[in-house]
Amino acid sequence: MSYEPKLVGFLCNWCSYTGADLAGTSRIQYPPNIRIIRVMCSARIDPSFVLQSLGKGADGVLICGCHPGDCHYSEGNYKAMRRYPLLKRLLDAYGIEPERVRLAWVSASVGQRFADVVADMTERLRALGPCRVKTALQTDQIER
Amino acid sequence: MDDLKIGVYVCNCGTNIAHVIDAESVRAYAATLPGVKIARSYRYMCSNPGQEMIVEDIRSQGLNRVVVAACSPRMHEKTFRNACRSAGLNPYLCDMANIREQCSWVHSDSVAATEKAMALTRAAVLRVACQEPLAGLTAEMCPTTLVLGGGIAGLTAALELAEGGFPVVIVERADKLGGNLTRVDLTAPHFDSARDLVRERIAHVRSNPNITVMLHSELRRLSGFVGNFTGEITTNGGKPTHVKLGNVVVATGYKEFDAGRVTHFGYGKLPNVITSFDFERMLRAGRIETRDGRLPQYAAIIHCVGSRSEEFHGYCSRVCCMTALKYANELKSAIPTCYVSDLYIDMHAFGKGCEDFYKRSSEVKTMFLMYGKGDHPVIRRAGSGDDCDMLIEVEERLSGEHIEIPADLVILLVGMEARKDATDVARLVNISQDKSGWFIESHPKLDPVATTTDGVYIVGTCASPKDIPDTVAQARAAAARILAKIAKGKIEIDGVFAEVREEQCSGCRMCNELCPYSAIEFDADKRRSHVIPAACKACGACVAACPSAAIKGRHFTDTQIFAQIEGVLL
Repeated sequence: MSYEPKLVGFLCNWCSYTGADLAGTSRIQYPPNIRIIRVMCSARIDPSFVLQSLGKGADGVLICGCHPGDCHYSEGNYKAMRRYPLLKRLLDAYGIEPERVRLAWVSASVGQRFADVVADMTERLRALGPCRVKTALQTDQIER
Repeated sequence: MDDLKIGVYVCNCGTNIAHVIDAESVRAYAATLPGVKIARSYRYMCSNPGQEMIVEDIRSQGLNRVVVAACSPRMHEKTFRNACRSAGLNPYLCDMANIREQCSWVHSDSVAATEKAMALTRAAVLRVACQEPLAGLTAEMCPTTLVLGGGIAGLTAALELAEGGFPVVIVERADKLGGNLTRVDLTAPHFDSARDLVRERIAHVRSNPNITVMLHSELRRLSGFVGNFTGEITTNGGKPTHVKLGNVVVATGYKEFDAGRVTHFGYGKLPNVITSFDFERMLRAGRIETRDGRLPQYAAIIHCVGSRSEEFHGYCSRVCCMTALKYANELKSAIPTCYVSDLYIDMHAFGKGCEDFYKRSSEVKTMFLMYGKGDHPVIRRAGSGDDCDMLIEVEERLSGEHIEIPADLVILLVGMEARKDATDVARLVNISQDKSGWFIESHPKLDPVATTTDGVYIVGTCASPKDIPDTVAQARAAAARILAKIAKGKIEIDGVFAEVREEQCSGCRMCNELCPYSAIEFDADKRRSHVIPAACKACGACVAACPSAAIKGRHFTDTQIFAQIEGVLL
């Protein structure tokens, strides 16, 4: 069977999740490889969510939030934006291709943009091939 | 953990879900998942029989968790939570899998879509197992309202609240009440006196024992949360007074665009090029004249100065078109022989009675001229042979010709812009501004006077340019919202908020600074931080940032999200 990448998406409730819903109401088609998890704000996305996803078998992770300046919580997306480069360095240190994780701004009014981001990311992951960290990483869940 | 008894309900949504997803397979698969006691599929879960099915199962089968695989939770989460509540199950023990907007409507491959629907349902089942019953809180509601700004918006809101029997404090920076409207002579389209309108409001405010007016005053700090704010107010820069407040109405108004920024109009250089506010002053003095005291024989009115332009402000200031018509009428009635030209880009006559006003104004022999957006008329001094003071060159769109218009007096209709100190106000009361500096409402259509900070309302022109009727409507709307809250007595606080597990808190205070709502306080004695639930909006920024993992984001805990990750990937 051919390789189908598994993509986990963490979407903020106000812009990106709504944008993804809009893609639905507009019947804009995109690859079924993405599995969406809703959080209230992109600032809630703990780097451990990304590592956990890759550790559990995801081939890539997509983080989506409101455009800078448009955050429902005024500045949460800036917090996500600042964490992102650090996360990329961490991935590199783990030997995971940094391009497996992507941060994209998707507003509530652009379903097409969300569909395009997913299609593009799916294609990139297909080119990269399966992520082999599942066995190597074995992240332990942090008890909170 | 108690024995899990999860009920899973797979909605067909008529054929919206079922035409792509094999709902029966999803249902059969869900039945095999850990903790699932019942799995059903039904045509429309949101219908009364659908909801009844859930209620009945909770009651008869003792379900303690519910998963509905259906549309987006943004659509029906409330519906299913309410169904659970009505059956005696805590509403936060219900979760949804979005298999319509994010699955059946966006994928056409049945096999892949069904597989995805299974994964999403599994994620919801694993997540719901980790969900905890949550309860909201209640807090006291202080009946005093702070009104920032004593213009027509602030005065109206204050009166409405005070007439309802509750205390109001008006804080005004200037030395008098009335705001921008005190600079206006008559209003459009009915030529009522603006001064009378505002005088009447001020007189009522002054005589109302429930209203405290603080002039020359400023709000320096606002702490606390809805129903329980404390405002720090200074007068003449003196010692601050502390006032307990329940709600805040921001009515800080606008400032007019500085016409000097548009160089081709020569404002500040050509003595007879004036702004609408300069002209209002003439009208109020009862004498329309040029700088050297002559009656203008040619007058020109130019619209959209600073508005609807790429260079300055992109938006329409909404009041200028009708103000222009008002001026045309006033000029004609004061100086019947005066030749009045009105240069517009478009004529926006959207208000009640305004289109009719436009029609009537055409009948008083005003010369309407249209210029293009992005294009601009140029004003220059006339030569000695001309019988006028200035000439305005314009590419006239209706005739398609390049023409020159004579003028002794040019009135620039300056638009509205956000006040320079709007950013300070926004920070002070914790609200946001759009790219033009206007305060942002909670929802542009459905919640136009509330903001994302509970208990803080925005009314009038601090939110966007608007006319008097819209401003007054907003002021009364905010007052009504506040009166309803005061009438309720207590405020209910949603059960979803962050909480600090004090035993894990190292007191580093990183979260204190991070919180956009100042909802985290530091207890200096205990050396621990804690969350004020009523002020928390549950964004989770602090949860992800806490280096000691001491903050729990209720309903979006790490455990719950890890369960979801496991579920979508298994």
